[in-house]
Amino acid sequence: MSEMTETAIVGTGAIIERLLKGEFICRTTDEEAWRSLKSSTTRERVETYLNQINRTIGSAGEGEVFFCGYLQLGDAERKVISSQFRDICNALIPLVEWLVLVQESSGQDAPLSEGAAVRLTELQTRIEDTPAFREQLAKISHYRLFGSTSSNVDNQIKLVFKRLVELGYLTRPNAEKQIFIATGKLDYLYEVIRFIDETEGLSLEAQAETATQRDLV
Amino acid sequence: MSTNLHQAGVKLLKQLGRHADLVMDVYLSGSVPEGGENAAAIEKLRKSEILWRPEPDQELRLKRSVRAVLEEALSDERNRQIDSNVGSSLASIKTLAGHYKEARHNVDYSASEAYLADLNEHVYSFAEGLRYSIRVLWSRINNEFGYVGTINAKIRENELAQSQVTELLNGLEMFQFSELGEIAGDIRELRKLLVTSLQETLSDCTQELSVVQGRLLELLGRFRQIRGRTRLLKGWLLYTDLHPDYMPVDHVSHKQLPTLFNRAEAILAPAAVDVHNTGYEPELLDIVSRIKAIARTNHDPQLREHDVSVSLSQAEEFDIPDNPLKLAVDEYFCSVIDSGRNQSALEYLDEQNLPWERESWLYQVICGYEGLPEEHRHYFELEPIGEPDPVYTGNFIIRDVEIWLA
Repeated sequence: MSEMTETAIVGTGAIIERLLKGEFICRTTDEEAWRSLKSSTTRERVETYLNQINRTIGSAGEGEVFFCGYLQLGDAERKVISSQFRDICNALIPLVEWLVLVQESSGQDAPLSEGAAVRLTELQTRIEDTPAFREQLAKISHYRLFGSTSSNVDNQIKLVFKRLVELGYLTRPNAEKQIFIATGKLDYLYEVIRFIDETEGLSLEAQAETATQRDLV
Repeated sequence: MSTNLHQAGVKLLKQLGRHADLVMDVYLSGSVPEGGENAAAIEKLRKSEILWRPEPDQELRLKRSVRAVLEEALSDERNRQIDSNVGSSLASIKTLAGHYKEARHNVDYSASEAYLADLNEHVYSFAEGLRYSIRVLWSRINNEFGYVGTINAKIRENELAQSQVTELLNGLEMFQFSELGEIAGDIRELRKLLVTSLQETLSDCTQELSVVQGRLLELLGRFRQIRGRTRLLKGWLLYTDLHPDYMPVDHVSHKQLPTLFNRAEAILAPAAVDVHNTGYEPELLDIVSRIKAIARTNHDPQLREHDVSVSLSQAEEFDIPDNPLKLAVDEYFCSVIDSGRNQSALEYLDEQNLPWERESWLYQVICGYEGLPEEHRHYFELEPIGEPDPVYTGNFIIRDVEIWLA
């Protein structure tokens, strides 16, 4: 019995640490922690701890992604949040362009979402073989978010993927393999776009639909 | 009459078998042009109505019934046809039941038997058809409509499947068991067929269909989500292309902050040593001095006075000295052969005054026995002497072993 509580404490410790590092916890990045957060007892324990330092557990993507937010918002906290919001807004265009590039170059129906794997070498060959994709990659990699100055496809794509791992949108389960897996943070990104779309009434989906219909005609 | 039918059926099936290759070619390609090397075979198949011509200038196609047999037997996933016409089956079942009742009433046994057999056939084939439709639906769900390429096609396929499920369910609702019960009256055979067996099938199928419906809706939701995301991304790119200086409104300045944007700053930064900070030098040096190379094997630096030439030659033969305990066990086996009577291992140990511990001796004897080559082991029998554990069942405590010649 005592052993069980001990592992539970170790578990919540690791979860709290991850959350305080500003990481997103999802099934792909840390399945054990994600499962624990889904159970209400562990979640309450973590929440109680976080509440003491003015933090709370936030979630997105229909409760599949967890992150750390502020419990009470003072001026200092608002400042942090608005700088973060600016960051994510600046990252939106490069990230969306990258998502579309990955989807189109791999000829897939579905855009990348949590749990989907990307094989870098395969993607790279496809991009290298098509001039339009190559141009697109060059454009994306030169955004400030990725900050590449190289004109070489290999360098560009490696840098983009490295940055995406740093930013937490991708994980690389095996350091020896060029296989990357999309994390729940991507699902968070979709939710951000959807939020902006809905609150500002941009009706992005409808626009995309009429555009594709026009293409069909 | 029935022998004629039998012969005709056999002939038809044989014809199918003889032209199996051709039939499968037509099945896979959809149609077959006339003429060419197979002209005679094609003509024969056309005459026996396995191939038919839908319109005057069209190529020959496989008859729907033959196609259906193949689709079903091969569980071909492209098969989307579902017979949801429950109404006509129900009507024919009712009619046959009427015939049967009339024949029974007129005490015409041969006719009533024929009608009952017919009715049986109808009811069972109806049930089988229903189950088959459900199976087709499941196979389409299970591979998530993998036979069409795009998400939009998948959504359309899903909608088709949903309408088929709804139709089937509507059809099943037409079955009124009170009415069937009335038709069956107190005739045992009819009750069994129309009430018990049909009801069971129907309740099973209705249940399964509702599960199918649930899964279809779930899948549709997922497909729509995927399509929604794709459109969202495309829409975003379109919009930002059209409005290059667009910036999202400051959504976090409201009093009510959307939880989505409430993300705290990281308190714990990833730790790393700053090697450029001279202030840490003593500590870093201390750490470095404590790093040691761990080598599991001793590598004494070897100095060679001169080059040693390496040549590959046959490995020399070498012996592994036998374990004395193992040799003693061999002796024991030999003594059993010599004496020809059974002897307990521990008795032998005491007799010979051997120095080994009793337990290791027993282990080695058992090992020695198990380690014998198959043909040698047949000569011996080994019997453990002991008793089951008084407390824990399934455990047998060996006190001694006995060996004798088999």
